[in-house]
Amino acid sequence: MGDPQYSVVLFQSTSGVLRAEKLAKGAALKVKLIPVPRHLSSDCGVCLRCESADVHRVRSILDAAGVEFDGIRPL
Amino acid sequence: MTKTVDCRGLECPQPVILTRKAMAETEAVTTIVDNDTAKMNVSRMASKQGYSVEVQEKDDGIYLHLSKVGAVPEEETAPASAAVGPGGPTVVLIPSNGLGRGDEELGRILIRSFLHTLDEVEPLPATMVFINGGVKLTVEGSPVVEDLQALEQRGVDILACGTCLGHFGLKEKIAVGEISNMYTISETLLGAGNVIAL
Repeated sequence: MGDPQYSVVLFQSTSGVLRAEKLAKGAALKVKLIPVPRHLSSDCGVCLRCESADVHRVRSILDAAGVEFDGIRPL
Repeated sequence: MTKTVDCRGLECPQPVILTRKAMAETEAVTTIVDNDTAKMNVSRMASKQGYSVEVQEKDDGIYLHLSKVGAVPEEETAPASAAVGPGGPTVVLIPSNGLGRGDEELGRILIRSFLHTLDEVEPLPATMVFINGGVKLTVEGSPVVEDLQALEQRGVDILACGTCLGHFGLKEKIAVGEISNMYTISETLLGAGNVIAL
C-alpha cells in the first residue's frame, strides 16, 4: 500500500480488466492483474496495476479501444 | 572471517538477497535487521541453506549471527516461521491452473489474484505443491511466475509434479520451483500439519 511507483486502474467487470490487460500488454506496458487493494473498492474485485509513469498512456489506450473503467488511483 | 551485512532501513526482500550474496563469499555472516519480518525471512533462508542462526536483540537492531553447519536434514528444511503450526508445516496443494469451479476464465483470474496476495500476507506456507493442470502455473509464460519466484525467495518450497509436467510436455519449460515426484509429494502432504487444497 502506498507505493508511488504504481497506480491501479479500477473496472466494473472482470471482462473489462482482461480486455485492458490484453491491450496494455500489446502496447508493451508493464501491467499486472492484482486484487483491488483494501483501501480502495470497486464493483470488480480485481484491477490492473500499472507503473504510475504510464498512467496517461494506459488511459489513452483504454479510451481509444472504448474499454470503460471506473478510475485510476495511486496504489 | 565474518562478514557483516547491515540491512537496517531496507525493505523486503533486500535483506534476504544481500545476506544470500554474503553467504556466497563466506561461511559466517552477521546480518543486522530492524524488523521482525526481515528477521524471520533471513533466518528461514539461512536455516534452509544449512546455517545455524543465533539471534541477538540489541538496542540498535536485531543481529543475526549465521554460520555454516553443513547440510540440514530433509525434515528440517521447512521455513521456521509461523508457517509451521504446532502439528507441522502448512502446505498448499494446487491441483489446477484455476481457483474454484464454475467458470474457467474466472478461475484463472482468481488464482492470479490469490498468488499475488500470498506474497503480502502472513504466515507463508512452508511448501506449495502443484499437480495436474496446476503445474502450468510454474512454467515460462505463466502470469504468476514472478509471484512464485518471490515466494520461493522468501523460503517457500515450490514443488511441481514431474509426471504432470511431462504429461503436458512442459518439463523443459519450468521457470520456478523444482520438479518433484510422487514420493516427495506424498511425504510432503502426509507430513504437513495443515494442507490447504485449492
